[in-house]
Amino acid sequence: MMVPVRCFTCGTVVGEHWEEFDERANEGDEDPQEVLDELGVDRYCCRRMLVSHTDLVDVVSPYQ
Amino acid sequence: MSAEYDVEFVEREDRDARFLVQGITPAFANGIRRAMLADVPTMAIDTVRFVENSSVMFDEQLALRLGLVPLTTPPVGEFVEDDTVTLSIDVEGPATAYSGDLVSSDDLVQPADENVPIIDLKDGQRLEAEADAVLDRGKDHAKHQGGVAVGYRHLQRVAAVEDLPEFEEPDRRIVRGVIEEDGELVPTSEFDHDLSNRYPGQEVTLEDVPNSFVFHVETDGSFSVEELVTRAADTIESRATELENAVQL
Amino acid sequence: MSYKCSRCKRDVQLDEYGGVRCPYCGHRVLLKERSRDVKEVDVN
Repeated sequence: MMVPVRCFTCGTVVGEHWEEFDERANEGDEDPQEVLDELGVDRYCCRRMLVSHTDLVDVVSPYQ
Repeated sequence: MSAEYDVEFVEREDRDARFLVQGITPAFANGIRRAMLADVPTMAIDTVRFVENSSVMFDEQLALRLGLVPLTTPPVGEFVEDDTVTLSIDVEGPATAYSGDLVSSDDLVQPADENVPIIDLKDGQRLEAEADAVLDRGKDHAKHQGGVAVGYRHLQRVAAVEDLPEFEEPDRRIVRGVIEEDGELVPTSEFDHDLSNRYPGQEVTLEDVPNSFVFHVETDGSFSVEELVTRAADTIESRATELENAVQL
Repeated sequence: MSYKCSRCKRDVQLDEYGGVRCPYCGHRVLLKERSRDVKEVDVN
């Protein structure tokens, strides 16, 4: 649904990087690896939080 | 128990630091680490009163998201364990509610990160809620955990012993943390964590320096690293005093 | 109890005689509206 606020494993706040990551790596055509490095998301536990996330709000909102 | 010990910073930023502590036992190093994770009180939202929520997520899900938003924690003594600070949020769609939209009743307690999306609101949807933040410890809930990814490694001493045979393919020698090189501290990220980059063509020895620990500490934004470490040390002290008083007759 | 008809989106009051049915369009699917009370939730 929405991005997790924190990394499940280590507790770092990852939510604040989502919009930039989404814009640059998912919507744009930058390399996700480079975007994450620039955002300072270093550990693989936090990186998977952003890489594997899909926003579902638009999918479920018609069924309100 | 010896009272002499040294602290030296290797990297130092507001939320992220690496420092060397020399002259402490492994047990004490671990005690500090655990105190940073579980025993330093931080502010976090604990109850939420929903006035209106017509978003696509349930009240409980939103409450959890609000709880995980890091809040700046006031200096020691400003608050005690049962005090509450009220924060409110009121966002009407089409818009996204961010952690920065939380309006606090106290300047000392503010969202530490303002860009965390709480919920995406479509046309006509609205989120209006009031939340109470309390001071508590990581022991009770992970949202009160001020230190994230706190750990330590031994300081490692590197010395080149001899040259490798000329045509031998050098093996990679991966080390992480901080090494000591003739008394100089060098973070391994400087040479891509691979000793064969720093000592090409040489055989090196690596040994742990006894009772020297390199801590890597990150905080969630509740306070600075210095603040976290000193508060962790204070909690250990207060528990030690408590124990001392308890065993005295 | 206030409900909303899922077809014509109008507010519907149910009584014990009418059964579950929208009095305006006869649709039988009614959605219950969220209560206007303030709901308190613990974060855990």
